[in-house]
Amino acid sequence: MKTAANSMATTYPKQPMLLRRLLGTPTGVIGLAIVSLLIGGAVFADFLAPYDPTKMAVGPRFLKPGAEHLLGTDEFGRDMYSRILYGARLTLLVGATSVLISLTVGMSIGLVAAYRGGWLESVLMRSTDVLFSFTETLIALSCVAVLGPSLKNAIIAVGIAGIPFYARTCYSASLVERSKPYFEATMAAGAGHARLIVRHLLPNVLPTMIVVATLGVSTAILAAAGLSFLGLGAQPPLPEWGYMLSGARDYFNRAPWLMTIPGLAIALTVLGFNLLGDAFRTALDPTERHR
Amino acid sequence: MKPNSRNWARKVVSTAVVLCSMSTISAHADDIVWARYGDIDSLDPHKATSTLSLQVWSLVYDTLLATDASGSPQPHIAKSWETSDDGTQYTLALEEGVMCHDGTPLDANDVKYTIDRALSEDSPSLTKSSWGPISAAEVVDPLTIKLSLETPFVALVPFLADSFSSIICDSNESVESFGTDAAIGSGPWKLVSWTKGDRIVLAKNPEYKNFGKLANNPGAPHEDGLIIAVVPEPQSRLAALKTGEVHIAEPPFDDVPMLKDSGELDIVVAENTGQNVFWEFATSRLPFSDKRARLAVGHATDAALAINLIYGDLSLPEACPVSRGVFGNDQSFCEQYRPGYDPEKAIALLAEMGYGPENPLETSMLVWTGGNRQKLAEVFQAQLAEVNIKASIEIMDIGSLNARVRQENENTEGKASMDMMTWSWYDPDILYALWHSPGAYRGYTSPALDEMLEQTRVLTDPDARKAMVQEVFKYLLENGVHIPLYTPGWEWVFAVRPEVEGFKVAPFVYPIFSDIKLGG
Amino acid sequence: MLRFIVGKVAMGALTVFVTTILVTLLIHLVPGDPVQIMYAQSQGSTPEQIEAVRRNLGLDQPIYIQYFQYIERLSQGDLGHTIRGGQPVLDVILQRLPNTLLLAVAAMIVAIVIGLPLGFLAAYHRNTYIDTALMGIAIAGISIPHFWLGLLLLFFFAVQLGWLPVSGSGLANLVLPAFTLGLSNAAIFARLTRSSMIDVLEQDFVQTALAKGLPRTLVLRRHVLRVGMIPLITMMGLQFAFMMGGAIVVENIFSWNGVGRMAVEAIFQRDYPIIQGFILTFAVVVVFVSIALDALYAVMDPRIRRGS
Repeated sequence: MKTAANSMATTYPKQPMLLRRLLGTPTGVIGLAIVSLLIGGAVFADFLAPYDPTKMAVGPRFLKPGAEHLLGTDEFGRDMYSRILYGARLTLLVGATSVLISLTVGMSIGLVAAYRGGWLESVLMRSTDVLFSFTETLIALSCVAVLGPSLKNAIIAVGIAGIPFYARTCYSASLVERSKPYFEATMAAGAGHARLIVRHLLPNVLPTMIVVATLGVSTAILAAAGLSFLGLGAQPPLPEWGYMLSGARDYFNRAPWLMTIPGLAIALTVLGFNLLGDAFRTALDPTERHR
Repeated sequence: MKPNSRNWARKVVSTAVVLCSMSTISAHADDIVWARYGDIDSLDPHKATSTLSLQVWSLVYDTLLATDASGSPQPHIAKSWETSDDGTQYTLALEEGVMCHDGTPLDANDVKYTIDRALSEDSPSLTKSSWGPISAAEVVDPLTIKLSLETPFVALVPFLADSFSSIICDSNESVESFGTDAAIGSGPWKLVSWTKGDRIVLAKNPEYKNFGKLANNPGAPHEDGLIIAVVPEPQSRLAALKTGEVHIAEPPFDDVPMLKDSGELDIVVAENTGQNVFWEFATSRLPFSDKRARLAVGHATDAALAINLIYGDLSLPEACPVSRGVFGNDQSFCEQYRPGYDPEKAIALLAEMGYGPENPLETSMLVWTGGNRQKLAEVFQAQLAEVNIKASIEIMDIGSLNARVRQENENTEGKASMDMMTWSWYDPDILYALWHSPGAYRGYTSPALDEMLEQTRVLTDPDARKAMVQEVFKYLLENGVHIPLYTPGWEWVFAVRPEVEGFKVAPFVYPIFSDIKLGG
Repeated sequence: MLRFIVGKVAMGALTVFVTTILVTLLIHLVPGDPVQIMYAQSQGSTPEQIEAVRRNLGLDQPIYIQYFQYIERLSQGDLGHTIRGGQPVLDVILQRLPNTLLLAVAAMIVAIVIGLPLGFLAAYHRNTYIDTALMGIAIAGISIPHFWLGLLLLFFFAVQLGWLPVSGSGLANLVLPAFTLGLSNAAIFARLTRSSMIDVLEQDFVQTALAKGLPRTLVLRRHVLRVGMIPLITMMGLQFAFMMGGAIVVENIFSWNGVGRMAVEAIFQRDYPIIQGFILTFAVVVVFVSIALDALYAVMDPRIRRGS
């Protein structure tokens, strides 16, 4: 990937090329299909969902999946299909927002550390290393312990937990770029700090960060769903998949689908982003394809 | 694979099998295994308030008095008690021959030790105020203890029958790990070990003498040991019940009808639990400082429908601020005053205050985690939505709930707040703790209510006291201060394996294991 | 080599140092008054009592003094007392920590035993259908949430079939949680192993060795496996930390009596001394394990061993 970063600087504007490459691999196709389906469901939930996801007694309780209720009903007679659709919206929101938090803060740290060097670099990167060794779960859990359980806090917690990873990745990608002759030449020509970072460093590390962020969405979704599963994230009546899964445990004997469906939804979503991320990586990095 | 490595593999497998079979889960054949969702907080009766802790104290320690099946106080270690005419002196005569687990006799000195400890300045009992205005505990002779009170306090007698007043043998004084790894009492079971988060192991106390506790057994328990295990997942508890790994446990509520039908397990539902689940409100600010908003919540909630959905017939709607089995409770009396289910009326009340579909009343709804209460809250949330109340549920542990409610009451600004509070008490004196100024949670108070509550503490004539207690009920209900929802509410359903004979639950959810014989 | 290890130890010490600071700050970041929250259980606690508690905890002191007090108590092995029940936090943690470590190690073994051979196999057959299939399975494995997998395993094997006990901390109880945690990580291991092995397989010395006509299995075992393992060892340190994190969820599903289950309960109960103790313990364990693995790495990698 290190050698490819440079070539990316030139191929970056050619988007159609990237898409074609993405669709050239089966993983890319499947990943893109799953993620598009998810986005479609989330965006058009208002039109696609036959019922209000929080409305009780729209059907009998514990109805098996069937024609009337596609995915059955839950313990309150709520329509599972509608809940899963709106759940997709929440899941995407959680994934996107928390990754955005990690990405912006992480990248800022990485870029500044790599660009400025010196004591600032040491301080920033050593702190990042320290936080990194805590692992994301512990950071997220500590944040929730302080902030209290809610979906918003879970998003913040997962977002914060991801920062060290993004900072590290961005830092090493930026270092490579910074050591290149063209960069030093531009610097010597007297370009401003901001201009150098934004115009030269950023575009060159961006492709790497896109790959990392796509894969990161899946990690973030898993982490947030895990928190909700433990009762430390989404609160009722939000149709959050992790919370739904956790609440379905009691009805395992009576209505096993209540546990199967949200779990499957999470797994598929995460799989979609993982495949897409992998495909991105392959598409962006020609050398990767041989491995 | 080479032949000798296959041998090696076989060895590993057989070792693993041996190790698995000798793992710690299997108890002795003569041990009763009781699984609960959580662990105790402490073995020290002055350091915790949870039902989980109380139930264990009731096995390890004795109390001066005991309750009969209806919940009224009976003699136990104290064979009799006398009250002075002015109601400020109680003299209790103790039974002879009660032995502590370390072999020392239990006498008036142990009782004094317990009371002094509970009321001590530096580390008092968490429930210090329930002991009442005791000014001195005096050892008259080894078998007589005299309690002097500053003012009359009629709730002292039922308190002495509750495990909050467990008698701690004074030999614990020199035990450093008392409450953590040691607990010397005189109850039917002796502490063997407590592995935090996992299990408490008890052994029968062969010296035990039962005077007034509800068990038929006059002496030591029939079985040798009792293991109290922690199994948080309801379905896991059910699985363990089915395989015989566990004898007694709370089943998943939803599986109870199925279990009853199949007859696979017996279902024991505790009666006279004293548990009361109710709405209360942060009245320090609008909207709930306005009586109409509180009553609207009362009219909006259909407790009968909600509990039927979540608990089936295992719980009942409750009309009084103290539950069935507690002094003063009278369903038909309370029903006259409790705001009944009437959504139209709720909408009208809220409309008067300016709330409607476009402008709903927004509030937090604080709920204690566990026992499917979060599901119940979801139903209530939907019911409130019907009358234009938009409630956001916040689930928390009981300790955090207590703290949060108090904070909400102290805040004069902010979002509206209401909570599904849970209290279990053996006497209406709980209402004094809750609603007499300043109030346990710094919530609603009024001079009129204070006056009535003070009377309930000092009226020694039962009929007069009952009338006053019911006046308090009426006030609380009519003003929407304490809107009862249902009873019982937690840890009251037990599934029992068929070979277990003689399991029963005393009032206020104290399970009794002394009578149990493991047959079959 | 000594310099390498000293560096790692210094980094570990820094991590623990930062943790102690964060843990001290934690209680101040909590919205609302922590002491009120902590002592709400107490019946009708008076403002004076609350004030006394605050003093006892040193919360009336400036933060830096609180920090030094915390460190002083820490050096005596005093992590404070739990809010619920007043138990010594150190005892409460030490009774459970072995269970969590046992779970993490067992899961690690499961992950290695399943992940390494699969990764090696995929690398050996790289860019064939075997590779594609194996990596497809691996990516699916990574995508399955372990709390879901855990529930399915629990319900199937323990609840439906009644094969395994559901309470206690015996070896039989370890099987399901270890597999749940191990399987998701096996997929990660397989992917890491594959790329590490491919790196080695493509290196000149391997190609030369093969070209010289050395037996294939010998080359694979002597060169590829040994060299390919080295980067894996460092990754194991990271994976172990992930296992510790994953254990938090898995312990809750299987009622495994470890520090993860304790921590989640403590969050619900706002038992801050336990949460503080948990974070500190977690950091110390992770640092310790990673130093140990780095030392192993140093011993195995000749470049570091010779100090070049």
